[in-house]
Amino acid sequence: MYVCLCKGVTDKQIQRAVDQGARTMRDLRQEFGVGSQCGKCTCCARDVLHDAIHARKEVVHIHVPSPQGQLDVDIAYS
Amino acid sequence: MRGNSTVLAALNKVLTRKLTAINQYFLHARMFKNWGFNELNERIYKASIKEMKHADEVIERILLLDGLPNLQELGKLYIGEEPKEMLRLDDKLQSEDIRYIRDAISTCEAEKDFVSRHMLAEILEQQEEHQDWLDTQCSLIDTIGIENYLQRQL
Repeated sequence: MYVCLCKGVTDKQIQRAVDQGARTMRDLRQEFGVGSQCGKCTCCARDVLHDAIHARKEVVHIHVPSPQGQLDVDIAYS
Repeated sequence: MRGNSTVLAALNKVLTRKLTAINQYFLHARMFKNWGFNELNERIYKASIKEMKHADEVIERILLLDGLPNLQELGKLYIGEEPKEMLRLDDKLQSEDIRYIRDAISTCEAEKDFVSRHMLAEILEQQEEHQDWLDTQCSLIDTIGIENYLQRQL
């Protein structure tokens, strides 16, 4: 599936990027430009990224911008 | 005629879903066409045009109720990379749309806007038909296999 249409980035590309070390949305933005044009894919890209990290049985670091400021959560693999 | 603001918000939400579906179906249709699957192209193209007609009805209704139809807002498109995934994603979009329309119908009912309710009910009927078609395609692929299925779509 195309996660980001603006840059033509697929979920498989994101999964491959995770295998090669990408761990944050910033990594994805730097590598593919995900979420840098219209921003609609950010949510979906984050889900795909976290699922891919989760599949590697690693801890997922989540940084969510909220009205109260940045929200930092670590979700361990269970 | 001054419309109820809750109804107007619900109608605008349905409009956003429609505008999103127009684009997703249109792109999928033309991707199928590009690959030579003319049957799928035709069917999905028509679904896109139908969504546009629904959007038109909703736009006119919002204007009649003295609201402003928001044609700027657009949801995320779920574009697949291969036929099976494309149909599955259309199915997903369609079921979500149906949920939104049902919610909007309850809102209209609660606010006693029976004309909007009637319009949405008619749209819902067509949505359910298309979802049924999509469901059938997905189960056909599972039973006869993607190769056999695509052979029928040339």
